[in-house]
Amino acid sequence: MHADDDKEMWLDKLLDDVGDAPAADTPADLMARVLEDALAAQPAPGAVMATPVSLWRQMLEGLGGWMSVGGLVAATATGFAIGLGALGGEPSDLYWMTGLDMFYDTDIGLTAYGWDLEEG
Amino acid sequence: MPLDGQDQTLDDAELLARYARGDADAARRLTTRLVPRVHAQAARLLGDGAEAEDVAQEAMMRLWRIAPEWRTGEAKVTTWLYRVVSNLCTDRLRKRPKRTVDLDAVSEPADDAPSPEARMLNDARRDALAQALAGLPERQRLAVVLRHFEGATNPEIAERLGISVEAVESLTARGKRALAAALKGQAEALGYEG
Repeated sequence: MHADDDKEMWLDKLLDDVGDAPAADTPADLMARVLEDALAAQPAPGAVMATPVSLWRQMLEGLGGWMSVGGLVAATATGFAIGLGALGGEPSDLYWMTGLDMFYDTDIGLTAYGWDLEEG
Repeated sequence: MPLDGQDQTLDDAELLARYARGDADAARRLTTRLVPRVHAQAARLLGDGAEAEDVAQEAMMRLWRIAPEWRTGEAKVTTWLYRVVSNLCTDRLRKRPKRTVDLDAVSEPADDAPSPEARMLNDARRDALAQALAGLPERQRLAVVLRHFEGATNPEIAERLGISVEAVESLTARGKRALAAALKGQAEALGYEG
């Protein structure tokens, strides 16, 4: 017999022993408490049934609703603008990609990375 | 005889829909029909009457709350409840310290009534198994529990979990291998020849 079969034999016995234990009687006061919960949580007769919510709506509600999402968008845009401003003193690839550097260069007359000055 | 002593023509989902529309009788019928099953499952997994009652009440409370949003036809109420109870029990088992039993102190019971020592051994077996079950992935745990605790056949399990019979066989086999690994070395301590 395979060793794994031996392992499963005592495991089967354990599963049977635990599974064969008599089911506990349901206490009457538990039934009463559950029914009390049910009636307390029950929608009023004639109440409008909630329609099943979509995944998108669940996500939206999880974020706090449309107003919160609007605020989130505004905060994101502001943060992005502030981030770009901070890059002004220290150019990076992202900064050059935006094209904002062109205004800077035009204002002080530095085009072609200063080569025009070297050439007089 | 029907479990709730009333006609069984209305399935659980229909009763839940009636409950959500404010039908108090549906609440009573669902309570009578479902609580004994939920409580028995929790008691079997936890082995603690007070904890089993707490889990049963919490699981049913979740059912009442979700009733207005229940999508009929997507899942069976009993399967949904089974998963909720299983997860609630798992949470509790993971927080529970392991119990051990001194087999030297265990003697055979003299009559049909289990001796205190035998009860200790049974408790230790149930705890060890419950702890090992708590470590299984959810679907493996459900497949093993339904098969061995509920006596469900593979086609019945397949229907309740919404998977194929082949998938049930695979889940059960993998679950039992994982249980054997988790319980490795405990056979003798639990009174078996491993």
